[in-house]
Amino acid sequence: MDDNKDNANPVILNASDLPTRHGESLLKKADDPIGIYLGGLLSATQPIDDPFDEALSASESESDRDFDEEIDAQEIYDLIAPISDPEHPLSLGSLAVVNLPDIHISRPSSARSRISTVVIDITPTITHCSLATVIGLGVRVRLEQALPPRFRIDVRIKEGTHSTGDAVTKQLGDKERVAAALENNTLRGVIRRMLSTCE
Amino acid sequence: MNSDSEVPTLEPIASFQPSLNTRAWMTAPHPKLPILATASADKTVKIFSLTTFRQLSSITGGHKRSIRSCAWKPGTRNESVLATGSFDASAGIWRHDDHPGSNEAHNEESKNDRSEDEDDDWRFAVILDGHESEIKSVAWSAGGQFLATCSRDKSVWIWEEMEDDNFETVAVLQEHDGDIKYVRWHPEEDLLASAGYDDTIRLYREDVDDWICVSTIDAHQATVWSLDFEPPKNPSLIDSVGPDAARQKDLQELEKSGPRLASCSDDLTIRIWRRTPKGGAEDKPLRDRIPSIIRTNNVDEEWLEDACLPKRHERAIYSVAWSPKSGLIASTGSDGKIVVYQEFWRDSHDQDEVRSEGPPTETSREWKVVAEVENAHDIFEVNHVCWTVRADRGRSNEGEEVLISTGDDGEVKMWSIQRGT
Repeated sequence: MDDNKDNANPVILNASDLPTRHGESLLKKADDPIGIYLGGLLSATQPIDDPFDEALSASESESDRDFDEEIDAQEIYDLIAPISDPEHPLSLGSLAVVNLPDIHISRPSSARSRISTVVIDITPTITHCSLATVIGLGVRVRLEQALPPRFRIDVRIKEGTHSTGDAVTKQLGDKERVAAALENNTLRGVIRRMLSTCE
Repeated sequence: MNSDSEVPTLEPIASFQPSLNTRAWMTAPHPKLPILATASADKTVKIFSLTTFRQLSSITGGHKRSIRSCAWKPGTRNESVLATGSFDASAGIWRHDDHPGSNEAHNEESKNDRSEDEDDDWRFAVILDGHESEIKSVAWSAGGQFLATCSRDKSVWIWEEMEDDNFETVAVLQEHDGDIKYVRWHPEEDLLASAGYDDTIRLYREDVDDWICVSTIDAHQATVWSLDFEPPKNPSLIDSVGPDAARQKDLQELEKSGPRLASCSDDLTIRIWRRTPKGGAEDKPLRDRIPSIIRTNNVDEEWLEDACLPKRHERAIYSVAWSPKSGLIASTGSDGKIVVYQEFWRDSHDQDEVRSEGPPTETSREWKVVAEVENAHDIFEVNHVCWTVRADRGRSNEGEEVLISTGDDGEVKMWSIQRGT
């Protein structure tokens, strides 16, 4: 069985070496990210009766901003580190596919803009990993589901870590390709299994 | 026209109801009737009224996956014909009888009556199979004779309707090296443009009895998402040309080129392309031309960059639309902005400045941003923008143009360009 895997003997990090947040209240939050984020997700997608009602949008944007400030790289890491590798019974965190220093968040570029960007550089376990696209897709889907839609998510293959990194990055950045891929039931099943360890 | 005294703003007029509540990909205004067709990830096309801002019908049952694109056949009589392109790799042709005044009657019907009729309204007439993977865009030629479809399978297909509901494949064009995002026909000629994931734009026309690629544009640095042609006899330049001889000459040259082409890309640029007038290849002595072995006559075209619009977008630009009425260009994309650009004749004063700095600029024209809206669809990405003529009671005049935007939030919105005084 193991012979069929791209990388049969990956390096595995010790669970105690994985980055966590020290400090109790914040840890608690990270333990149950779904509960926290679901609130934000629902309020953000709830249909607004009159989207041009200024009072409504102003008050909403204010609460969004408060919420926005609570999200940092560690929390993004906590959302994606438990994702299972598609071929190993191990998490992307323990395989060092996702790493805390490779997560970057940029705040809205202007006072009027409300769009934040999360950039995640992933490191495939080996340079010819054929599953890099699926792993990247899993990370993108996980964050699209967990983060409010105000976040634009850019999942990239870390430079120099994959033989076709640029091509995979381009594919992962193409919303139309991602949308079409997610209508494929087989792929959806794979991603569902990868994300089943997140909840 | 002076930009300082007349700064237009973009005002939201209406959201079409009900919201789709799921990703809406694009909206096509009917060529004659005051209705819109919106293609959606929920495998349906919604028809909205431009007079009441409400949904008139939902076209369902034809496609197994997202409908990515739709296009109204131009020039039909007593019926409306809609082509749809889906991620299920098929294209559909839908027909609807337009009885005189039927749209008005439609509006007045009660909701209950309408839902009963709904399924009968639109007939799924033909399914066009052939593509191997998702269809990304569909487009009718100006005369309605040809339908072009493009797909992730790297091919553009041209279909011709021989008689009612009998479509024949007249060409399969495999010039692109990747997913093809968009197809668009020239407004006056049977010239087709396609663009895509390989960062290029390609143009095709029929030569004797074969469709061939006549030009390739490869200046973009990332996926080219969308294209639009300039309207013939663009009023924005003609109306303001004035007596200046240099401008008049430039305008004459532009007329020789014919409608220009606008493209938008993931490289965050919108570029304008202009065909080099042929000057008649036949006029040149034969020895100066590269002899063609295969082709009987030279149909190759040269499209050169005419302008790059001011950079305003921070993320992928998904859609660009050139207004047929005013010559304004609108763009939108992942950053949720809608930006409107206008082309101006350069003031002779400006021209002097440019000249003093370096070599004279090639054109006496320049593009400026004249209106901009952020968060046009709240915090969501905006997938598409297009122009149409306003039809509701609030319109200020018969031909008032409006913008229609379509977003990931499932909203379809109408925007008015307000010109202050």
